[in-house]
Amino acid sequence: MSKIMKIENLEKTYHLGKVKVEALRDISFEVNTGEFVSIMGPSGSGKSTLMHIIGCLDYPTGGKYFLSGQDVSKLNDNQLALFRNQKIGFVFQQFNLLPRATILRNVELPLTYSKTNSGNKKERAVEALEKVGLGDRLKHKPNEISGGEKQRVAVARALVNHPSIILADEPTGNLDSKTGQDIMKMIDRLYDEGNTIILVTHEAEIARYARRVIHLKDGLIDRDEVIA
Amino acid sequence: MILQSIKIALESLWANKIRSFLSMLGIIIGVGAVIAIVSVGTGSTQQVTSRIANLGSNMITVYPRTPKGQWGEVSSASSQDKFSLESTDYMEKFCPSVIKVIPVKQVSGRLISDDINVNATILGTNIDYAEVNNYEVGMGNFISENDHRERRQVMVLGSQLAEDLFEDDNPIGKKIKVNYEGQVYMFDVIGVMKEKGGSIGGNLDDQAYIPLSVAMDKLTNSDYVTSYIAQAASSEKASTAVNELENFMVKFLDDEDQEQFRIISQDEILDTVSSVTGTMSIMLGGIAAISLLVGGIGIMNIMLVSVTERTREIGVRKALGARNAHILFQFLMESLNLSSFGGILGIGFGWTAAYFLSQYGDWPMVIAPLSIGLAFGFALFIGIFFGLYPAMKAAKMNPVDALRYE
Ligand SMILES: Nc1ncnc2c1ncn2[C@@H]1O[C@H](COP(=O)(O)OP(=O)(O)O)[C@@H](O)[C@H]1O
Ligand SMILES: [Mg+2]
Repeated sequence: MSKIMKIENLEKTYHLGKVKVEALRDISFEVNTGEFVSIMGPSGSGKSTLMHIIGCLDYPTGGKYFLSGQDVSKLNDNQLALFRNQKIGFVFQQFNLLPRATILRNVELPLTYSKTNSGNKKERAVEALEKVGLGDRLKHKPNEISGGEKQRVAVARALVNHPSIILADEPTGNLDSKTGQDIMKMIDRLYDEGNTIILVTHEAEIARYARRVIHLKDGLIDRDEVIA
Repeated sequence: MILQSIKIALESLWANKIRSFLSMLGIIIGVGAVIAIVSVGTGSTQQVTSRIANLGSNMITVYPRTPKGQWGEVSSASSQDKFSLESTDYMEKFCPSVIKVIPVKQVSGRLISDDINVNATILGTNIDYAEVNNYEVGMGNFISENDHRERRQVMVLGSQLAEDLFEDDNPIGKKIKVNYEGQVYMFDVIGVMKEKGGSIGGNLDDQAYIPLSVAMDKLTNSDYVTSYIAQAASSEKASTAVNELENFMVKFLDDEDQEQFRIISQDEILDTVSSVTGTMSIMLGGIAAISLLVGGIGIMNIMLVSVTERTREIGVRKALGARNAHILFQFLMESLNLSSFGGILGIGFGWTAAYFLSQYGDWPMVIAPLSIGLAFGFALFIGIFFGLYPAMKAAKMNPVDALRYE
């Protein structure tokens, strides 16, 4: 199996005045194409920090991060934006849909920022929305649908650019457990279809949907566990 | 990318209709003011200029003036009794830029026709007076050379005076008694002038006109006239003519300090008017500029609010692949939309204001395309200038911080 990303001795230190916060210390792991990995740990263990670096939203302060063979720490702002657009699909805990735009426009958004084929934008957005079962709600605004549906729109938005990695940060955190399970089943289905998925959570039951769980503690990998 | 940004910006403006409108208000008023002011300025100047031109052609009036007396000393005699009739000939010879000098003898008396009597100004003058004043005869004739030479007691009435004395009757051929300082003289009405309105010397319509010789020899028995009206050869030569007349009067009255006479030319009045309208335009233009500036600050303010409010949106857009330039353009377009939309509304507002003001002031409505272009261009400039800082602030946001913003 081919490697999609590789992290080597990754560090992230925040400086709050004189106080140094070592959010990540010496993290190393690899993810293969088509894997479903959970990053799990208690609050403050560095999950979000790690996810921001994997998502090309932030630079590490030490170590190396390769995405599709490219050393991400060597990219400038615009190249990072391009990487986020082409290679990463984000699913956030707070959904982060644009409230004034329709669901269709929300899903089209990543396509409007990519240089290639904007001709069939709508087609691709509709296709992604059909995949999450919302093909009939295109003209609705985010405030007209439920939380679970919002998260499904977010998943559709993450899928629309056919990213290399789908990054989900506590995707069930704002949902009740039943709806959360529905979302997890949907993500599991995306894994079955061959997508690479990295899931960040502090809940063990949610983490177990993945086939591999990386346990994070105080900015270090505590355990890298494969689930059968 | 630009089209995309325009679309996003329009959507967000439409989402905040009232707020957008309020923040556009400064631009609307500023642009409207520029257009209205320029229109009012050109319209009223045109009106005044044409009115002044209508007063006569290149007219220069020379009046006597009573010099100020020194402390404890009786003021020296007025120069009135130095304005002789003969000096008109000298004046014409001495001043090459003057083609004609018309002596005027002005008295006031009581005009009586049947049972109506009116106090009026009576001007003794000659045939040229009407021509120099662009003053046209409505009925009958103006005073002729013969009337003057033969001292005929004939009278031409201003339109208002004719109406006052004869109402709807035809005054031509009627008799008018003139009571001047206790003496009564009979006059035949030979003409009525067309309506003219105000002039340098007062309202021509209220006056009566008689031959100069009658006014001087019969009524007043005086050798001196009240004023001279000189006509310059052309408008280009008007100021030279004024200088020549000044030199002449200084020598003629032996009045180095120019205390005994006063010269008023049409050009001078025009200059005064245009300097007044010029000052007014500068003042109002300043107001317009300030309101455009305030409008710009209003736009900056609302854009800063918009950027802060949408911090998370900016983070989301960046996470989804928006580059800094995308965000910059989005917000720049938004402020440009605000200012240009405000500019368009301002043009409408200014146009309407200019129309009503022109109706009110009775001058032609003139909208200079330049003023529209200028005002609109300035509005756009303000949109970019004051939108740049908020847009840069948005573009430079760190995506992680922006996403975390509550
Ligand atoms: N922007 C930041 N500035 C300073 N400290 C930060 C910042 N982001 C995270 N941290 C700190 O880094 C550590 C890890 O945080 P985070 O990655 O959010 O953990 P998790 O997502 O697992 O709760 C925490 O101690 C947190 O306070
Ligand atoms: Mg977190």
